[in-house]
Amino acid sequence: MRPSRLWTGIFLAPPLLLFGMVVAYPTADALRLSFTDANLLGGAANWVGWDNFIDAFGDKNVRHSIRITLIWTVAGAIIPPAVGLALAHLLQGASRFSIVMKSALFAPIAVSLVVAGQVWIWIYQPEGLANTILGGIGLEGWQQAWLANRSTALWAVFVAWSWQQIVLAMILYLAGLSAVPGELAEAARVDGGNRWQVFRKITFPMLAPVTTVVLSLVSINSLRNFDLVFAMTEGGPVRETETLPLLVFRVLLRELQQGEASAIALILFLITLLVIGMFTWWGRRRSGVL
Amino acid sequence: MSSRAAAPVLLPSGKRLRRGLGRAALLVFVIIYLIPILGVVLTSFKTNAEIAARGIWAPTGALTVDNYLSVWRETNTPRYLLNSVLSTVPAVAISIAGGSFIGYALSKLRPRGGTIIFLIIIAGLFVPPQVLLVPLFTLFRDLGMIDTLWPIILVHSAVGLSICTLVMRNFFDQIPDSLRDAAAVDGANDGYIFLRVMLPLARPALAALAVLQFVFIWNDFLYPLVFTQSDGVRTVMLGLLAVQGQFTVAYGTQGALAVLASAPTVLVFLIFQKYFVRGLLAGSVKG
Repeated sequence: MRPSRLWTGIFLAPPLLLFGMVVAYPTADALRLSFTDANLLGGAANWVGWDNFIDAFGDKNVRHSIRITLIWTVAGAIIPPAVGLALAHLLQGASRFSIVMKSALFAPIAVSLVVAGQVWIWIYQPEGLANTILGGIGLEGWQQAWLANRSTALWAVFVAWSWQQIVLAMILYLAGLSAVPGELAEAARVDGGNRWQVFRKITFPMLAPVTTVVLSLVSINSLRNFDLVFAMTEGGPVRETETLPLLVFRVLLRELQQGEASAIALILFLITLLVIGMFTWWGRRRSGVL
Repeated sequence: MSSRAAAPVLLPSGKRLRRGLGRAALLVFVIIYLIPILGVVLTSFKTNAEIAARGIWAPTGALTVDNYLSVWRETNTPRYLLNSVLSTVPAVAISIAGGSFIGYALSKLRPRGGTIIFLIIIAGLFVPPQVLLVPLFTLFRDLGMIDTLWPIILVHSAVGLSICTLVMRNFFDQIPDSLRDAAAVDGANDGYIFLRVMLPLARPALAALAVLQFVFIWNDFLYPLVFTQSDGVRTVMLGLLAVQGQFTVAYGTQGALAVLASAPTVLVFLIFQKYFVRGLLAGSVKG
């Protein structure tokens, strides 16, 4: 039976109209705006060519935002996936105990970043848990106002973020590990491989597709992370933790510069595409080798 | 299975001891990892006087529900929660319905240009929200929708189409075409086939998406922050930050509101964890 055009239209038209209005058209419009001096105060927008991009790269605040966003993305692609994989490796198993432990460990993923930010503020404030613990183990010298100190603020927020992303990576790796046939690893152990060798030569390569997924998801989360940084520092102290998403927010809603905000948002989009493209290419190559 | 169940009895005592120690270490680790969550919950049940005297993190003191009562009575929290429900539920429903429509049409009706439609919608997964914010702010302002819940509903409905289309198309691809064709030969139109034949089969995929989208939209903070201004239209995530400003030292109050704000997603997550994980995987591994 040939599908009727009428029904194809009924199914496709409403959602595509919505998608076009709220996602596709605005994305194209952002591209147009980035070449204008449009602002939210009103007044006609003039075509300014590449000025917004040139100004962005010439501005040391923008360069700082790009730099910390990239540092965050690189650290984010290493630490949460590695810890998540290690945890998944330790926790795999079907005993009732390990299932209960796993379920409990999943909880941080359901908590919003705003709530997470709030409790991590309590941990980092001068009289908070971090300093209490440091005092308790005799490291009073390390105590500080973690979120107010320019050299620790970014990493303090990063740790809070990792707390949640580790769980995301762990969930995905647990699913990946359950698909790795246990006999293969056992056979390799019988053949005299030690645990580390078996993991490196057999388990990890078999997890390559999952690793691609983990790296892509965690990197997207790195690059669009707004909620947690806003809740914890609002980009401060001064503009030390102002990642690109926060910078766009400031330029759009505090400085009201639509054109410039669009240009910075598109730089963020471009970085996202490059990073995802890189991981996808790596994933294809890995699975090609296998 | 039976040999595994019998194993503990047969283990030599050294091995059993080692496993016991391993479990104890794991339990301690899980508790430490969950300290941020346990801290909020505990704080929400402490009196503010107790917290002022001993700090947030002292694991002692009398417990009370006063914080919950005061959050409920003295702040706009009931309104915040209602706003979150009123924006999250429609957005979850619309994104899943729309994703199912597109997924079914692309998978089973195969219109010309279907691949391009699919690629454009999937590309939406990679567009940072910040790119959309700039033009959308003007759009919603011109439509007179700023400071209402409409922008939140519309944006999440539309943005959610990407993941929902991906999952649903993959799902319908696994259902043999012959199932649709048989029903079509019997004279059923595609509306009927979709509603009565396909959707019932798709229940697991729909449940996975529902949990994923609910957690994601309920917890979102950026769009409500940008598109609303007055207290009466704040969602609970915004309300949390607003109350944090009003009660700078009343940690117990903040904690209670944080628990109320998190309870819906954490409960949904704990009950439907299986579906959440499945949704995460369906949306990623096959993409």
